[in-house]
Amino acid sequence: MFSWLEKNPFFFAVGVFIVIAFAGLVEIVPDFAQQSRPVAGAKPYDLLKLAGRNVYIKDSCNACHSQLIRPFKSETDRYGMYSLNGEYAYDRPFLWGSKRTGPDLHRVGNYRTSDWHANHMWDPISVVPGSIMPAYKHMFTNETDLETAYAEAVTVKKVFNVPYDKDIDGDGKIDVPLGSFEEAKERALKEALKVAEETKREDLVQMVKSGKIPEIVALIAYLNGLK
Amino acid sequence: MQNPAIEYDYTVAKWFSYLAILFGIIGMGVGVWIAFELAFPELNYVAGEYTLFSRLRPLHTNAVAFGFTLSGIFATWYYVGQRVLKVSMAESKFLMAVGKLHFWLYFITILLAVVTLLTRYTTSKEYAQLEWPIDILVVIWWVLWGISIFGLIGIRREKTLYISLWYYIATFLGVAMLYLFNNMEVPTYFVAGMGDIMHSVSMYAGTNDAMVQWWYGHNAVAFVFTVPIIAMIYYYLPKESGQPVYSYKLSLLSFWGLMFVYLWAGGHHLIYSTVPDWMQTMGSVFSVILILPSWGSALNMLLTMKGEWGQLKENPLIKFMVLASTFYMLSTLEGPIQSIKSVNALAHFTDWIPGHVHDGTLGWVGFMIIAAIMHMAPRFYKREIYSKKLLEMQFWLQTTGIVLYFSSMWIAGITQGMMWRAVDQYGNLAYSFIDTVTVLHPYYTLRGIGGLFYFIGLFMWAYNFYKTMTAAKQIEKEPAFATPMAG
Amino acid sequence: MDPKFIQGVLYLVFIIFLTFILYGYIIHLYRSEKKGEKDYEKYGKLALDDELTSKPVEGIEEENKKESK
Repeated sequence: MFSWLEKNPFFFAVGVFIVIAFAGLVEIVPDFAQQSRPVAGAKPYDLLKLAGRNVYIKDSCNACHSQLIRPFKSETDRYGMYSLNGEYAYDRPFLWGSKRTGPDLHRVGNYRTSDWHANHMWDPISVVPGSIMPAYKHMFTNETDLETAYAEAVTVKKVFNVPYDKDIDGDGKIDVPLGSFEEAKERALKEALKVAEETKREDLVQMVKSGKIPEIVALIAYLNGLK
Repeated sequence: MQNPAIEYDYTVAKWFSYLAILFGIIGMGVGVWIAFELAFPELNYVAGEYTLFSRLRPLHTNAVAFGFTLSGIFATWYYVGQRVLKVSMAESKFLMAVGKLHFWLYFITILLAVVTLLTRYTTSKEYAQLEWPIDILVVIWWVLWGISIFGLIGIRREKTLYISLWYYIATFLGVAMLYLFNNMEVPTYFVAGMGDIMHSVSMYAGTNDAMVQWWYGHNAVAFVFTVPIIAMIYYYLPKESGQPVYSYKLSLLSFWGLMFVYLWAGGHHLIYSTVPDWMQTMGSVFSVILILPSWGSALNMLLTMKGEWGQLKENPLIKFMVLASTFYMLSTLEGPIQSIKSVNALAHFTDWIPGHVHDGTLGWVGFMIIAAIMHMAPRFYKREIYSKKLLEMQFWLQTTGIVLYFSSMWIAGITQGMMWRAVDQYGNLAYSFIDTVTVLHPYYTLRGIGGLFYFIGLFMWAYNFYKTMTAAKQIEKEPAFATPMAG
Repeated sequence: MDPKFIQGVLYLVFIIFLTFILYGYIIHLYRSEKKGEKDYEKYGKLALDDELTSKPVEGIEEENKKESK
């Protein structure tokens, strides 16, 4: 049997494929459905946060920051409650990261404020002396791409049944409204104005008032929501 | 019966060799740059937002893994494939065309990858950052490579497939499966009719996405940085030394062992995360088992040199290859150690991990590809290697670079891991996070210098290759074994 | 029955099965060589005698001739 396999390239290839595909089937498939169940209280990202999350991805913040608190005392003391599986149910893609050149951010919304983020992203060393993080000044002038974020929200709603425009917790109210692009944009602008005012930076406030959301505002809205 | 006019056709192998050198220099140049950025953050601003660490880091990993390493793999395939099957690409116009198309599509893809990563298009999944249109291109040339492999096998003169071919076939199948499943994504433009056409969203969410990603991520390491490199060393080391593989039976056994065990080990990237506990344990256990087939191959390589160790002194190419298998042994021991749960608790998220990766990539992958291309160069151009001395110098410089790299990262990683968990007498955390960053400055500097040494070595390699191509002494006949070199 | 139990049994059976395959393969490798049916080590030559003009270790054509006899 063995020597036959060695001389028949086609069946050899099939054999190799079975051997390598096997582990994936056994490891990944059994728990697939269970892993995607959200914890109670988990909600999809609203438009502004989703746009902010896309900024986070675009500038690869995950290259240096994790979003995964491991169940050790030293980590829960530093970053807060350890991470739970169901908290990530609406994370497409996941952003756990693999390297902490900077600290974990999974619950950064609990202990940092909008103006802290704005100052830090403008000039990290002025806020954290000795920091090796670079400034991200282009985020203060670039306009957030709300349309792509809206397209993403519509896509996950349609394709993966993510509960936008739905009553998730059963209190009779819609939890995360999306609606048409115009409606969603108006809501995002309102939310953005609040964040911009919290940053105490006049240029950001003016930009939002003129109908444009700077990337930094969306990003801060996203970071504030990480709790 | 055979037509004496037919010769092996190295056209495509040559082209891919040029790309390996080009992308090696680009990818590792970016690597050195970002290594120094960690030590001297001002370097982030040299070209505005385009030289920010986070922008360049994916570019570094992609350029090295998919630019340098894949070029090396393809170059050697288009050389080794013909030779061990005893059939020339010149015998089939079709396969020749497939090979050339493969090359050009691949080249375009990698260039597009560089441009899109610099302009912020990324899916954020490590080693799978490229957005969907580029993914489709990747699939096309990967299939072309498959046609080239099986097409050449179809017209072979040698009935039995040499062990290297087993590994090339496994590379083809493994990457195909992993890449397809991990890059399952929905382009948002086609569902919503608005927004950026390049944007897509992953088919998997949260923990599932993480599981699929590290099943891919770990095994991309397996099927790009391990399996095809073993394919190379099984050909080039015996050929260069004139010694057949120490035990062909052991090579077969290690092959099946590696194929079966490797895929299970992805879970070790997710230890203490939110994936099911049994999976973490499985990842950990299989990682330790993985030592067996890995060392099986590595020892087989070292034992091939049995009784011929004198060559190590005389032939720099043998030096490169023997050190490559030694680094392979080192990193396949280090990896399993890091997969043990209690060690992982300390090592995960620290610089020990990049340290480990670079043992393997610089020592094992880099050295093997360098040696393979320098073995081929005299056969491509029918000239001697231009300078043995330069090759020797390159070897020692790069070896020093690797040692600096991994020793500094060991210290940095363990220091940082220990500081994160250190508590004072009342049980409070002893250090704030920034303390654990500033303490790393000397190690980051040292690592940058190590990388710089390796990078300088690449230029010596490129120069030596260029001179071999254009100016070295011509040889009449293709050398059988040891590659001829001038002083 | 508890599905976890079935899973456990299947797992054990599978491990035993794989162990058999592994040892079967090792025994096959050595026995076929001892009996002289097959010489695996000669394939090591595939890398060394790899000129277009050198004689194949096991040529496709010879093999076909053998089968047609």
